[in-house]
Amino acid sequence: MRTSGVTDVVVGMHPNDHLCWPFDDFAEFRARAAEFLADGLELGQRACYVARGDDLATHLATEPVLAEALRDGRAEVVRLEPRSATATPEEQVKVYAAATRAALRDGFTGLRVAADATALVRSPDSLDAICRYEHLIDRYMTAQPFSAMCAYHRAELPEPTIARLNSLHPVNNARCAPFRLHATEDGIALHGEIDSVSLDLLSLALDNATPERGALRVDATGLRFIDHHGLLTLHGYARTNAATLVLRSQRSSLARLVSLLGLNDVKCVR
Amino acid sequence: MTGFYHQTALYGSDDEFLTIAVPFVEGGLRAGQPTVIACAEKNTTLLRDALGRDNGVTYLPGADQYARPADAIANYRDLFGAYARAGAPQIRTIGDVPHPGLGVPWDWWGRYENAINQVYAEFPLWGLCPYDTRITPAEVLADVARTHEYIATASGEHLPNADFGNGLALSRLVPDVLERGSPLVTLIDPTPAAVREAVNAAIGGTSLSDDDAHDVVYAASEIVTNGLTHGVAPVLFRLWADASRVVVTVTDRGPGPSDPLAGLVPTTATRTAGLGLWILHRTCDYVSMGLGDDGFTVRVSVGGPGQT
Repeated sequence: MRTSGVTDVVVGMHPNDHLCWPFDDFAEFRARAAEFLADGLELGQRACYVARGDDLATHLATEPVLAEALRDGRAEVVRLEPRSATATPEEQVKVYAAATRAALRDGFTGLRVAADATALVRSPDSLDAICRYEHLIDRYMTAQPFSAMCAYHRAELPEPTIARLNSLHPVNNARCAPFRLHATEDGIALHGEIDSVSLDLLSLALDNATPERGALRVDATGLRFIDHHGLLTLHGYARTNAATLVLRSQRSSLARLVSLLGLNDVKCVR
Repeated sequence: MTGFYHQTALYGSDDEFLTIAVPFVEGGLRAGQPTVIACAEKNTTLLRDALGRDNGVTYLPGADQYARPADAIANYRDLFGAYARAGAPQIRTIGDVPHPGLGVPWDWWGRYENAINQVYAEFPLWGLCPYDTRITPAEVLADVARTHEYIATASGEHLPNADFGNGLALSRLVPDVLERGSPLVTLIDPTPAAVREAVNAAIGGTSLSDDDAHDVVYAASEIVTNGLTHGVAPVLFRLWADASRVVVTVTDRGPGPSDPLAGLVPTTATRTAGLGLWILHRTCDYVSMGLGDDGFTVRVSVGGPGQT
């Protein structure tokens, strides 16, 4: 079971958890990244630190276990090169999938990455691409032992960008987005609240959610509120993709709203 | 006959009621027209006794059919539509519209009586709305007079109603009895998310069912959204509650929706506001809307003694 929620603690995560970590202060980011990676080593995952700058190994000095792991090859640092950004989202997922396979081959239980990805978000196009990547890699993580902490430096990005990135991760360090949309084994899960204020963000977040086998399966168990705008957006997205919207919720209110709106092609399950 | 023949009948005794209602029903049956009785319990019993059994009348329990105006419209539209598609040249319906004399607040039923002149115009329908002058308040009778184009009399006449279409816009704002106390929540220009959080916190101690709790949160979120989107600031949100019932109001300085059908039908023309208002008209126990000295107010009540 993957973790889903808002937290300020990076330790105790599962081997396939996916965190969004907007930060104000680089020292704070480096300390959290080091904790996250050290925790991954405990789980037997190979650790990989991706960041800008020189002497990346010194970034991780707060966790002595990482220094040792860097020496014996259980951990590595990767300097984020501008050219990294030219990979398509699909290619980038393939890179990490290959790295995860390699880690497994080398006897690790999986791969864990902590990355300052701020530099990858430089234009509206690259934002769209990284959002697509975030959802694709999230889907990959539902089935593979790959975990990641995607950190973004707040001062370099506008707030709506942070909110959009936040909305695409199962784990956040702050409520920058009113809801979270993440991948599940057979579709997507929604958490938080969706109203007319968050409607545009929902459309953007949905954009990369590809229905499978003719169904858009939405686990709404963790959704505290959704209004008819949100529901109609989900319904419209499913229809546009020739899929049936399947809503999972323990509450009767969602099924009542579906029935009231006459959405006869929506399937409500518990 | 095509179109909606919207008729009222004012009666002062049970005999007068039957004198008007029985020929109306029998005339429909004789002509082979679908004939529907959706009266309150007392009038239903009177008609059943007068008409006898097995006569082809469709009885709808008035308490269900008239639970909410938006429900009544949705159900009647389905029913009338089915009759019309089956080729009925005319449909007859007699129904007791609720009012304070029957223990039900009037505002949204006043809006209903006005709105159905448009809403049912597509059906070949003769609708008779009887009102008992022994128990119907004067302000209700005034609204009845301006919303019904025709009047049936105990002497068997069917007259045009001279008062039809006259007078002020419908709906006077009647504060809920809970509003005599101080509001538990007062917010000015809140975000819908802040309103939902405040309502959830405030109703935690009430006996509302999960569905009712959801309905009042939804309604509060929706009417604040409407106030912020379509109204004029400041938008004032307030909540009152006792052990089993919650009342929320939203007041803004604007004139409110100009469409008299707002909330009663799922309007697609103004999808943003129309559908949301309609949803709370379908889920909440009472919704009133109207202009007062402070501006335009939407008032919603959910729950109450005996409701679970």
